[in-house]
Amino acid sequence: MKIFSPVRIGWSLALILAILLPLVLGEYLTSILLLIAIWSIMAVSLNLLYGYTGQLSLGHSAFLGIGAYALGLIAVKLHIGFWPAFFASTAISGLAGFLIGIPALKLRGPYFVLVTLGFAAIVGVIVLAWVDFTGGANGLAGMPRPNPIPLPWGAELRFDSLRSMYYFTLFFLVLIAAICHRLVHSLIGRTFLAISHDENLAESLGINTMQKKLISFTISAMFSGVAGALYASYNVVISPDLAYFARGMDVLACLIVGGAGTMAGPIVGTFVMTAIPEGLQIVPYLKTLINGIILLLFIIFLPAGITGGFKAFFYRWGHAWKSGKGRNGIA
Amino acid sequence: MLLASGLTIIFGILNVPNFAQGHLYMVAAYLGFYMVMSYATNYWLALVLATFALGILGLIVYFLVFYPIRNAPEVNLFVAAMALLMILEGGALYLFGTETKWFLIPWSRRVLTLGELSLQVQRLIVIAGTVVVMMALWVFIKKTALGAALEATAQHREGALLCGIKVSRISAMAFVVGTALAGIAGVLIGPAVLLMPTMGMGPLLVAFSAIIFGGLGSIAGAVLGALLLGVVESLASGYISATYSLIVVFGIMIVTLLFRPKGLLGREVWRP
Repeated sequence: MKIFSPVRIGWSLALILAILLPLVLGEYLTSILLLIAIWSIMAVSLNLLYGYTGQLSLGHSAFLGIGAYALGLIAVKLHIGFWPAFFASTAISGLAGFLIGIPALKLRGPYFVLVTLGFAAIVGVIVLAWVDFTGGANGLAGMPRPNPIPLPWGAELRFDSLRSMYYFTLFFLVLIAAICHRLVHSLIGRTFLAISHDENLAESLGINTMQKKLISFTISAMFSGVAGALYASYNVVISPDLAYFARGMDVLACLIVGGAGTMAGPIVGTFVMTAIPEGLQIVPYLKTLINGIILLLFIIFLPAGITGGFKAFFYRWGHAWKSGKGRNGIA
Repeated sequence: MLLASGLTIIFGILNVPNFAQGHLYMVAAYLGFYMVMSYATNYWLALVLATFALGILGLIVYFLVFYPIRNAPEVNLFVAAMALLMILEGGALYLFGTETKWFLIPWSRRVLTLGELSLQVQRLIVIAGTVVVMMALWVFIKKTALGAALEATAQHREGALLCGIKVSRISAMAFVVGTALAGIAGVLIGPAVLLMPTMGMGPLLVAFSAIIFGGLGSIAGAVLGALLLGVVESLASGYISATYSLIVVFGIMIVTLLFRPKGLLGREVWRP
């Protein structure tokens, strides 16, 4: 790969912009950028499962909720500092993904989708109904912000301002995107792609599809849990609508609009789908409606999403990407 | 049960789990509500009108959404159904508001008492209506040519095509029948419950569990599954707690999928 390929330049520019923008933007816009970063983490994690492994899950709101509530409960009720709680909540959502993945991934097609949807609904009900534990409809307050990290020479990294919280989230977004990129380019990522193209064929080639799907599902659940924990920490209060299944659908909408199965897709999609309603200043109810309409238009006319559309456009004009990558061509 | 059979028909023919079915049912309930409460329509007339309206809505939705992407990978169909759910829920929240509404008809508070048993009259009407519709549906599928074509398409798409059945027309019809069933169900249940834009979700999940439990693609299975699950659900909400009954129902679904994936009366499970 060339050092200055258009893709690399694009990523670098985006990263520089993401780092510099909060320095010039006001509080409100920074907080929106922060939310975009959090939902991007979730979209990236869903992308690993749906875009690269071909398993459509409507249940990721559950892992988001588990991550957020695990952080909250461990930190608030057990009075443990942020960092142990953060890692524990990540581990717990990964474990939840592993446990629900074992039965769910044995199923294919619509059945898998249904089980994930059902799981999300169950988690939503539990969060709402188990009042003593989760605070029920009132939610849970008093999430901790990350504890300062001591740096050499007596300095320390503190996270009490909005801007620092944004950089903290951005760090995780970059980290998780990088992990996904590495993973997809590794041998195991190739098997994910094989499963997404044709699961029977992949199995006949000796790929342990169940195991690979479970790995993909667990990692994806874990990263969604990170998104949840970050959200809880940023927002200080969490309420049951975080774990409401529609959240998973919104994120999936972002992913598909952006372009599933590409690295930039989930981030582009989240940005567009957040920026449009914010720019138009519409009421939240209308947002679901408009998200649904946008999603429907994309799935009918441009199922590959924005990045997929761009890629097809460049293919046609014989520009970049001469190496000939397939449907899930990796940017 | 009506919801479940509507879902079965759509699922069997199009192989799409129509996530929006519960929301179509919610829309029907609201349609009935506005017809009866705002325009003082007779309840039974409203029932018929809403059913037709939902059928037409189904036709529009089919040709706008599912027909153009009928050859796309099936995951796209799932996503389209999900997008439909979002549109209906967002639209309902915007149009109907978040507050719950009472669908009042003259007999909606009347309760019939038989010994120790007391039942809302409307619930009896729901049961009776369900039985009537199920019988009509059975006659339609088993005794008419169109119904036979429907069943043939559900059993084997290519085979039906070879026999000269216009599969795409049958698919459209299945979708319309399925949504019309949601329409009947919505108006029937409306007066017995509180109306809110998210009311469709619980019944949708129960209906999905029922068709999986009973056996996919089999209407008899859907009926049996819905009956058994209905009993289990009411027992669970009676003896454990109403909020956890959904979990019990879903647990049954997951166990069914694991140990007998074709359900009680189902055919083969997976069509590539």
